[in-house]
Amino acid sequence: MVSSVRSRNGIFRPVDILVEQFGKACQLLGQCLILLFHTLKYIVRGEIDWREVWRQSYKIGVESCIVVSLTALFTGFAMSLQISRELVLFGADTAIGGVVSLALVREIGPITAGIMVAGRVGSSVAAELTTMMITEQIDALKVMRVDPVQFLVVPRFVAAMLMMPALTVYAMALGLIAGIFIAYTAANVPAATFLDSVKQTILDRDFGTHFLKAWTNAILIIVISCAIGLRTRGGAEDVGIATTRTIVWTMTMLFVCNYIITAVTYAPR
Amino acid sequence: MARQKQAPKINGSTKPMVEVNDLYKSFGDKPILKGVTFNVYPGEILGLVGKSGCGKSTILKILCGLLEPDSGSIRMHSDEVGLVFQGSALLNSYTVKENLAIALRRRKLSRKEQERVIAEKLELVGLRGFEDKYPTQLSGGQQKRTSFARAIVNDPKIIFYDEPTTGLDPVISTVIEDYMNELEDRLNAASIVVTHQLSTWTRTADRVLLMHDGRIEWEGTPDEALISSNPYIQQFAYAKREGPLLDSTI
Repeated sequence: MVSSVRSRNGIFRPVDILVEQFGKACQLLGQCLILLFHTLKYIVRGEIDWREVWRQSYKIGVESCIVVSLTALFTGFAMSLQISRELVLFGADTAIGGVVSLALVREIGPITAGIMVAGRVGSSVAAELTTMMITEQIDALKVMRVDPVQFLVVPRFVAAMLMMPALTVYAMALGLIAGIFIAYTAANVPAATFLDSVKQTILDRDFGTHFLKAWTNAILIIVISCAIGLRTRGGAEDVGIATTRTIVWTMTMLFVCNYIITAVTYAPR
Repeated sequence: MARQKQAPKINGSTKPMVEVNDLYKSFGDKPILKGVTFNVYPGEILGLVGKSGCGKSTILKILCGLLEPDSGSIRMHSDEVGLVFQGSALLNSYTVKENLAIALRRRKLSRKEQERVIAEKLELVGLRGFEDKYPTQLSGGQQKRTSFARAIVNDPKIIFYDEPTTGLDPVISTVIEDYMNELEDRLNAASIVVTHQLSTWTRTADRVLLMHDGRIEWEGTPDEALISSNPYIQQFAYAKREGPLLDSTI
């Protein structure tokens, strides 16, 4: 893309690149909205292949557990270590649990699970669907009068909506365990004190935001990866391009939407 | 080389199963089809031949609803259509049995009935015992036969074959050609076979259309093709370097 802009004028033109990227973003947004509309239409009608949902739930949820565990655990360790160090300096070591849990429930849990699922599942869905497009498997479905959206997108969408909240809660729980361990070893805060602080700090609406972020992430990951996968044509090289595009767009949109939800739910009044 | 099956009985009162009338299609500025017209009758295999890029596969895609024509009309007198893809196009994450079951979904058969139909079709293509194999565990010929079974699982009245023997060795090609003739006899379907392979169109087709530059340049039987003085079919049938087929590109 950069090279095409360069070759047209002989010089590097960043504005042209931005305009081109904006155009592509608008196109992708339109494709995602149309795909989301068709997906929801099938879900509302109850036309869901539950056997396939089960299969995809295993792929999205169970097979992502290890990678989410490791990420959540070490993010929990690092964050708790930083928070413990600062709060101990101010003599506020009993608040460690509250601060750590706030960060985990509101931000770290959803975003960690979101990033890992986007990297693992989003890229794999985009690669799978692109390969199916290139090898005429999607055309075969259409000839058999099977709608690819109903057959391929709906089960992945439903599975992601079921599994993402589970993964974010799991990531949050592991982060808390890491926090308890660090608070005890680095600041000598007992687990009971840590958990008391958690109970006093976390509100019901924090869990509401937590699940809202989890479902938003699920929608972003599946809709973007499927929209890109089902629109790509060409050869083997395009599978790589589609996968990279999916990762870039999904990750970017995860952070943008995460901020928007935080701004809307926690804006100072 | 001569065909081994009986020609279908087509007379003036036989109604065509597929009617293609004055079809035009362009990709961007490049015209691919420039007014193609033909009919296909029940029990007939129509061979659509021509060099690469002449628009053969585009016609199949339009007939299957995968592409929209720019103008012209298509009438197909049956909803049941089967397509055998050039690359088999089997769904790799599903077993042979599941691939066939996907094609049966809209019939909403009971599990027992579905298994009976799948077993019957796999028996027909000699793949009983392969139900639980994945496409990647099959040879090229077996994948092609699975693709056949999937295409005919709903007993279609119209079957399209896109390069069914390309990439297969001559022995497996002969087996596939025999299957095509056998299916034709059993189902009495109207079929179109797009192919480059001389053995395929001479052994299976009842009638051949030679396409060149988006138009039909010659029409006749395979036997007529081999003795015709038409320069297009002469060059194609005997794979000659000199002739009108290469004039516009080389």
